[in-house]
Amino acid sequence: MRTLLRALALLLVAGPLSAAALYAAAGPDWADDALKRVLAPPLGLPAIAHPAANPPTAAKIALGRKLFFDRRLSHNNTTSCAMCHVPEQGFTSNDLATPVGVEGRSVRRNTPTVLNIAYVDALFHDGRDPALETQYVAPITAFNEMANPSLGYVIDKIANLDDYNAPFQAAFGAGPSPDRLGQALAAYQRSLLAGASPFDRWRFGGESDALGERERQGFELFTGKAGCVACHAIGESSALFSDGLFHDTGYGWQREQERQGKGGMVEVEIAPGVITSIPHSVVQSVGNPPPADLGRYEVTQDPKDRWRFRTPSLRNVTLTAPYMHDGQLQRLDDVVAFYNAGGVPHDGLDERIKPLGLTVEEQVALVAFLKSLTGSNIDQLAAEARVEEPDNIR
Amino acid sequence: MILRLLSLLSAMTLALVVQTVSLTADETCQSPYMPKITGQEQFVYVWTLGMEGVGDESDKLVTVDVRPGSKTFGKVVNSHSVGGRHEAHHAGFTADRKYLWAGGLDTNNIYIYDVHTDPSKPKLDKTITTFVADTGGAVGPHTFYALPGRMMITALSNDKDNSGRTALVEYSNEGKYIATHWVPTDKDPRGAKIEKVADGYGYDVRVLPRKNVMLSSSFTGWSNYMMDFGQMLKDEEAMKRFGQTVTLWDLHTRQPKKVFHVPGSPLEIRWAWGDDANYAYTSTALTSKLWLIKEDDKGEWQATEVADIGDPSKIPLPVDISIGADDKTMWVNTFMDGKTRLFDVSNPEAPKQIYEKQIGNQVNMVSQSWDGDRVYFTSSLLANWDKKGDQNDQYLKAYTWDGKELKEQFEIDFVKEGLGRAHIMRFGSSELYTG
Ligand code: HEC
Ligand code: HEC
Repeated sequence: MRTLLRALALLLVAGPLSAAALYAAAGPDWADDALKRVLAPPLGLPAIAHPAANPPTAAKIALGRKLFFDRRLSHNNTTSCAMCHVPEQGFTSNDLATPVGVEGRSVRRNTPTVLNIAYVDALFHDGRDPALETQYVAPITAFNEMANPSLGYVIDKIANLDDYNAPFQAAFGAGPSPDRLGQALAAYQRSLLAGASPFDRWRFGGESDALGERERQGFELFTGKAGCVACHAIGESSALFSDGLFHDTGYGWQREQERQGKGGMVEVEIAPGVITSIPHSVVQSVGNPPPADLGRYEVTQDPKDRWRFRTPSLRNVTLTAPYMHDGQLQRLDDVVAFYNAGGVPHDGLDERIKPLGLTVEEQVALVAFLKSLTGSNIDQLAAEARVEEPDNIR
Repeated sequence: MILRLLSLLSAMTLALVVQTVSLTADETCQSPYMPKITGQEQFVYVWTLGMEGVGDESDKLVTVDVRPGSKTFGKVVNSHSVGGRHEAHHAGFTADRKYLWAGGLDTNNIYIYDVHTDPSKPKLDKTITTFVADTGGAVGPHTFYALPGRMMITALSNDKDNSGRTALVEYSNEGKYIATHWVPTDKDPRGAKIEKVADGYGYDVRVLPRKNVMLSSSFTGWSNYMMDFGQMLKDEEAMKRFGQTVTLWDLHTRQPKKVFHVPGSPLEIRWAWGDDANYAYTSTALTSKLWLIKEDDKGEWQATEVADIGDPSKIPLPVDISIGADDKTMWVNTFMDGKTRLFDVSNPEAPKQIYEKQIGNQVNMVSQSWDGDRVYFTSSLLANWDKKGDQNDQYLKAYTWDGKELKEQFEIDFVKEGLGRAHIMRFGSSELYTG
């Protein structure tokens, strides 16, 4: 009954995106459900190794959600974590190749999803942060993301917002601190587990008809002829679709060549289906030059790590377009075509990336397989995320 | 419900008042509900974006003296900084013309200036910082359009995903939130007839009380209007997120009636002034077209493409437009080539360009006096869309127009003066308040 009321209230107050959130409703006890999920992950996902210092609780998860959606956490109150990691867009942003932060400042990389982030040991495309508990400091203080003058400034700001007293007390028996902020955000993000996809039910749930023939053919290719599984790993009792390691697919190298190559024309879609070409110089007159991205090398300074990026999980990949570390590939077909062509040959290309000789039909099957990796509880996660309106200045 | 009724009543009574006032209207893009400057404007208020590395870097309201013969003619006589950068953009007077509401598309702050106590020195009276919470998630207050006793404000985005889905919002002149009207979408058409798509986007709003209609246009969401323009042109996903609709509303009930298909991001809306002229223009920024929205013989409203602006394949990017009080001509600025273009619109179905002039490396806003003799231009479009480096000239330029030639009267370099990026202009005059 309360859930129903809640859903009705949502219907009444919700703005433009209410429809998505209404497929599944989240009640006041949603954080308890989230906690259960963290302790017993959905089918196909392994158990989570929680840091000893930050065991999950419903109170932390609830506080973490509030923080994640609070636009006041940015210097000028415009940008929350969720403005880039949008629940209805697979906890990333489908609208942009690369996001914009405070005052519209450019961020050079594509926003990764935070679904199933509990399993990522090396965070960011270049793996520069080992823990969710510390990761948040980067966006909170980055000049081109949430742009706060300092971490202490944000902690102080939160401590002075009335609505945070109770939730911090409930979660920690203490007020805001850098550690506690990180712990709450981490606890919430770890609860964003999306599994029990058609693939999981087929592979781990004994439902032999959960995948159609085409998807199964795609699986054979993924684990066979196309060799994807070498990096996008699948285990015996669970699958993360990532080895957690860094590889050079040639994509990053190619983007750097394009960045350096000036001139030519740029195609621009000015209305649906209406495309015109304008000189690159015109685009440059109104744009700042794009920065370089050397990937893992920027962390290790080891030349062999140039243009290596972390293997992303392929779970929920249908929901997380556009693709690759700078979001320049729009459709899964484009990514598969990229691999089929053998990536981009150059010194340093991973030896497992080579021309695959997949027929058109095989490529279609591979894409169909990738589309079977969408978790069954996505709408539930979005509904929980929208259990309250985003925080704004009142 | 009670609010509805009240607004209905007030709109109806004021619809009557309007008819008498509009005949003496001045500057050609103002609300018909507003008292007018009948002769020479005395001041131009320029809502200016703070610019990193220039002056105090803050958004500010700049007042320029344009009284002929004044010792400070063509000079900045006042500048008020609000602190911080908010993506200063549009500003509009209340219907009594005593206050100027100026908005920040980024932070959603609305600054309400008293312009009647001393028109040479607007004074910040009130700041609304709760726009997003008040409205239930609308982001980016854009057009401030005077209705009797209240402001109709278009938003551009929302606090859920920074996309273009948004709302029209009403506040009382005293700054109290009244109502939010979400723009119809395919999923939630709210009873409107949809020509092709309903994207739910917003930009400008203008009314024709005589016909009880209101039009709103459509731009794009926060993540696009805040983004580096060059980056966006290359972002294929981002380019898919531009408005393609003009929405026709019932003015009294605020019910959306029809969603026209106008692809390429229709921006400014200008109604013709003539007593029986039942039409408005809008220009599409990306596709560079002029559109006519007109009531047909059967009383149905229709939107038709009526002219190209420059060479659309080069994306000249038409921005502000300004219609002459006699409905015969219209200034159209194209941002990318920095040109203003005068169109003969005496036949609204077939506008023709009859004059053009280079104003700067970039040009955005154009404002003309009611008699059309004076035309003012400013340079800035959006902080991250303006040209970069040497091409980023920031100015207010004043011209006279003799029917043949624009002649420059003065220019203020907003960078040299330490002011910032010059955006919307609004005219002020002490004569408005002396009875
Ligand atoms: C302006 C957009 C933006 C905002 C705001 C933002 N993020 Fe991100 N997020 C990104 C981008 C882009 C990356 C990848 C950056 C990189 O690899 O260098 C990322 C990466 C991450 C990752 C690592 C994902 C992975 O696969 O390694 C996590 C976790 C994360 N963000 C959480 C947060 C949290 C928590 C907040 C709020 C405190 C936040 N983000 C705010 C854009 C954003
Ligand atoms: C050598 C290891 C390796 C192999 C083999 C490999 N991948 Fe990848 N994959 C990566 C890395 C690394 C990235 C990230 C590249 C980047 O962002 O620049 C990636 C990115 C992707 C993405 C984009 C995901 C996103 O969210 O942006 C998809 C889809 C993908 N791979 C599918 C496949 C398929 C299908 C195959 C088999 C044809 C395959 N991969 C083979 C390492 C590999």
